[in-house]
Amino acid sequence: MTYSSSLAVGRQRAMGRNKNVTSFRAQARTIGPVSNTVIIVVLVCLLGLLYLSQVTKTNAYGFEVDNLETQQSQLISEYQELELNAARLQSVDRVQNSGVAQGLVPAQPESIVQ
Amino acid sequence: MYEDNTQQANPITRTRLWYVFLLLLSCLVLVRVFYLQVIQHDYYTTAARSGQFKEYEIPASRGVIEAHDGSRVVPIVLNEPKYTLFLDPPHIEDQQATADILLATVPSLAIEKADILELMQQDSRYVIVAKKLSEEKAEELKALELRGVGLREDPQRAYPQGDLAAQVLGFVNDENQGVYGVEQALDGALRGTPGELRAVTDARGVPLAANPENIRIEPKQGNRVLLTIDVGLQKQLEDILEDGLEHAGSENGGALILDANTGAIKAMANLPSYNPARFSEVPQEDSHVFTNDLVASPLEIGSIMKPFTMAAALDSGVVNKNTTYYDPNQFTVDGATITNVAESGGVGTRSMEDILQLSLNTGATWLLKQMGGGEINENARTTWHSYMTEKYFFGSQTGIEQGYEAAGSVPSPVDGFGLNIQYANTAFGQGMTATPLQAAAAFAAIVNGGAYYQPRLVDAVSEDGETDRRLIQPVVKQPNSIAPSASRDTRDLILNAFAKNYRTYGMDRLRDGYDIGGKTGTAQVPNPEGGYYEDRFNGTFIGFVEGLDQTYVIIARVDDPSIGGYAGSTAAGPIFTQLAEAMIDSYDLQPKMQ
Repeated sequence: MTYSSSLAVGRQRAMGRNKNVTSFRAQARTIGPVSNTVIIVVLVCLLGLLYLSQVTKTNAYGFEVDNLETQQSQLISEYQELELNAARLQSVDRVQNSGVAQGLVPAQPESIVQ
Repeated sequence: MYEDNTQQANPITRTRLWYVFLLLLSCLVLVRVFYLQVIQHDYYTTAARSGQFKEYEIPASRGVIEAHDGSRVVPIVLNEPKYTLFLDPPHIEDQQATADILLATVPSLAIEKADILELMQQDSRYVIVAKKLSEEKAEELKALELRGVGLREDPQRAYPQGDLAAQVLGFVNDENQGVYGVEQALDGALRGTPGELRAVTDARGVPLAANPENIRIEPKQGNRVLLTIDVGLQKQLEDILEDGLEHAGSENGGALILDANTGAIKAMANLPSYNPARFSEVPQEDSHVFTNDLVASPLEIGSIMKPFTMAAALDSGVVNKNTTYYDPNQFTVDGATITNVAESGGVGTRSMEDILQLSLNTGATWLLKQMGGGEINENARTTWHSYMTEKYFFGSQTGIEQGYEAAGSVPSPVDGFGLNIQYANTAFGQGMTATPLQAAAAFAAIVNGGAYYQPRLVDAVSEDGETDRRLIQPVVKQPNSIAPSASRDTRDLILNAFAKNYRTYGMDRLRDGYDIGGKTGTAQVPNPEGGYYEDRFNGTFIGFVEGLDQTYVIIARVDDPSIGGYAGSTAAGPIFTQLAEAMIDSYDLQPKMQ
């Protein structure tokens, strides 16, 4: 008898000894059709809510962007107004007619020290 | 038994009937839904989108125009928010009350209550009541929240320097088009490109950011343009021109100053002028004031042509600056007699300098003859024609950034009748036309060594978003209009002739360290019915003033002055003199030697 054949004889004996032992197999837990439907509905609702919240949030940013754009155009408008006022205040006519300019006399070229 | 059976069957039958009824109802609903959602899909989609999907044009603001002010840059044309007040008559609830409130809020409205009430009767949804309302007034009106009354923003050009350089600038009309001047020539660049917003919006019109179909194209704002004009010098030129025209008894005239080494216009004006902010108030019969005559109105330039004829003769090698000739004081060409003014000195031997100093028509004719080997022939005409058109660029637009630029006219050297007398006339500035700008640009080539620079008004441009200005480089259209030696000799002759005549032009003394030279022109005014007026003249003066490293060409034009003497000397000459002195005294033109 070889070593391997002696092992096989040993397994047969052992099986014979445990002939009346019941074999228990772990039973897999399953979810019924109702639960499945409920879970799917809940998941879909959650995803829908997530989508809606994102869309709402994005649109809220849209309002914020709109407000900022309004502010930007107001600031541009103010800047343009200030630029125009500054240019008017520095215009040649205004400077020429200012009190300081009225008090000046034309310089003769001879009196200029280079 | 029979009755019992019947009693048991009835509820079932009723229930079935209800089922059938509900089934039919459901079918009806389904059919209707199918009709609405499938068959009428496109119609309702379009209808829904038209309510939610909005398309807006995002306007581009028109570019600012700037100019130099010494070493600074200042804006001379800006945009100002203005508003148009309009009515939407069907939405006005109480017409009497609305009219009263409008008049009380905006007392400056140039309209009576009865007229407002009449406007309210119009069968239109957009009836304009007033234009160009200020922002303050617009805010007041908005706050009232009047039904059927609206305001539309309508930006207008604003001119902080008033009417300074009005004809150079031009204006923007009610159709938002640039007309005349720089506004017309650079309309496309100044206008910019409007942007676009296509988006699903909420009830207030605010775009919903979450929509992936939204499209936003940003507007490209108009270019910011820096002109070569200096506002201080421009103001001086306009004041000097006004005084000069008053002194000469003329109602029309113009003057410009051009940098001979770059072609840049430093100042340019015509009188009478107008206020571009109030262009609409100019009567139709006075609309000629919008035109920049220095660019758009060619004229027979008269004797200021003689330096050009001289330069051509020197350049072509038929004379040199020391040449002398016998002047018979009159030539007969094609049966017509060419003669000189009484003060020319009559018959005698003349020098090249005499031709310019005494303004000899016979001298200019003699120069033309030399180009033909001693007579006016096709060779002389063709040579002179090529100088006029290919070296001095008479007869073609200069390309300056101005609306309605004229080309002037130069007669053909080979086609037509009386060509010899026609060409003899062109040698002293008659029988051809040129704008003062063309003359100034060509004169710059004569005095700067021979390079013809394209005259220009734009110094730099900055596009939307650019912080740095892109400088516009001078353009040399013809590097050798005349040879440097011919330029030098012509300059010498002009300077020497001027040195003998300057008092005639109102100049007390010549300034040490500066080269000043110029030539008068007095041309008869053409009669629209043919020929020329015997007693009406246009005076012109073209010259240059040169310091250490800058040369400026100045040209003045005075139309039909009433002052005595030759119009070129007594009317246009003093304007040149004052401008030349202003360049020396006020424009930091450094002298050549201390």
